[in-house]
Amino acid sequence: MFLFCLISLRFQQPSNFDTNAKIKAVFLYNFTRYFEWPDKKKTGNFIVYIVGKNDNLVTELKNLASKKKVGTQDIEVKHTATFDPTVSSQIIYLLPDVSSAVKDVASKNKSKGTLLVAENAGACKSGSSINFLVIENKLKFEYSKSNAVKAGLKTNDDFKALAINVD
Amino acid sequence: MNRLRFILKNLCLTLLLGVAAGGFAQIDKLNRAQQLLQARTPELAQPAIDSVIKNSETKSDPVSWTTRAYIYFEIYKKAEKQKLNSALRDTIISSIKTSNALKPDNDYKNNNNKLLVSLSTHYYNIAKTLLQDSLNDVRSQQAYNSCKELYLLAKPDTNFVARDIEYYVAVGSVFSNIFNNDNKNTKAHDIAKIAHLKVFDLQPDNAPANMNMGLMYLNQGINLVKSLDYGADLSQIDAIQENIVKLAKQSEQFILKVYRKDNKNPKAVQALYYIYRMLNDAAKQEEFQKKSKELNIKLD
Repeated sequence: MFLFCLISLRFQQPSNFDTNAKIKAVFLYNFTRYFEWPDKKKTGNFIVYIVGKNDNLVTELKNLASKKKVGTQDIEVKHTATFDPTVSSQIIYLLPDVSSAVKDVASKNKSKGTLLVAENAGACKSGSSINFLVIENKLKFEYSKSNAVKAGLKTNDDFKALAINVD
Repeated sequence: MNRLRFILKNLCLTLLLGVAAGGFAQIDKLNRAQQLLQARTPELAQPAIDSVIKNSETKSDPVSWTTRAYIYFEIYKKAEKQKLNSALRDTIISSIKTSNALKPDNDYKNNNNKLLVSLSTHYYNIAKTLLQDSLNDVRSQQAYNSCKELYLLAKPDTNFVARDIEYYVAVGSVFSNIFNNDNKNTKAHDIAKIAHLKVFDLQPDNAPANMNMGLMYLNQGINLVKSLDYGADLSQIDAIQENIVKLAKQSEQFILKVYRKDNKNPKAVQALYYIYRMLNDAAKQEEFQKKSKELNIKLD
């Protein structure tokens, strides 16, 4: 007689949507508002170069690219597992599995007008301009203005107020 | 169905014997009602039996009332079995109650109880239909309570705890699913929550209810992030993160109850991986990623 359990068992699946990837994508898009890239990088596509492993983030950024622009520039997402110095981009995002490359990538991109973003403890000390970190379960970011200047970017002081400053 | 026919046949035979000693006029009417019932013309038997239960000679006889219940039951079955509110059903129930109050012998008492159980089953089916097809929790619960009430009238020693749990988990599942698909539907959220809280009162560690509650909070957090515009400013991101951390932690406490009871529950393992990812807890995320691999659970 009592078969309500059949109704109960049919539903309820956890959604596999990666909230972290979406939040990182929103952060990255936000960052573009606070920096000025050199003129040579203001033409063509605005390239976000992801290095390392995070398929959800790449998907999310491609979704972002299909919906938003940076100024008048279309956003283009490039992705490789390891750093390729021949890729010219406005943003390089080094994921944790390639975090050991921060110092090298930072030195190779000096004055090239590339915002280097990483996701590893101490990355700003190794040359990254921005570094994601987790505080009380929330994603925050460190900011090194001096690294951004070294990278050839014009910075906005409002940004300092929003970040954890490491300089 | 066959069982009811058997009961009806026995009832008619017993009635024929039982009323033999009574007043002839009323016996005639009761006999006629019986014969019409047996002839499957309960509509014709109805006026006869209604007269029998008004007569001073036969109105205090439980046989008259049980017969009336069976005659009305046959009419009800054709037209009102699926209705939540049925005057015919009310008449059957009141006739049975009157018969029982007049202390019938065991055979009649059993027949009354069988009829009550049948009516209870009908209420159950109505409760199910109202929940599944009409998504009408109020009417469904009304039907379920009536189902319970009649069943307990027939079998007072029945323990309904397990059935209550099953029913309220079903209500919670249906409405939490609606809420998961549309987070703006706060009514569905509230109905699901109330149903699950009823389950927790009866069985705090009930796995499906804890799972449903946990997933409601988790999916609420996920939908919040999904709805976030890429152009949202940093203060909005902060506010969203504040909310999703709260939701993920609420979700975690429910899902952990399921996991602690069964650490191989695939849904719990999967949900905990997503929760810890939402909480940016890399160590626990990795732990549950490994666990998922061991259990062949597909993530992402």
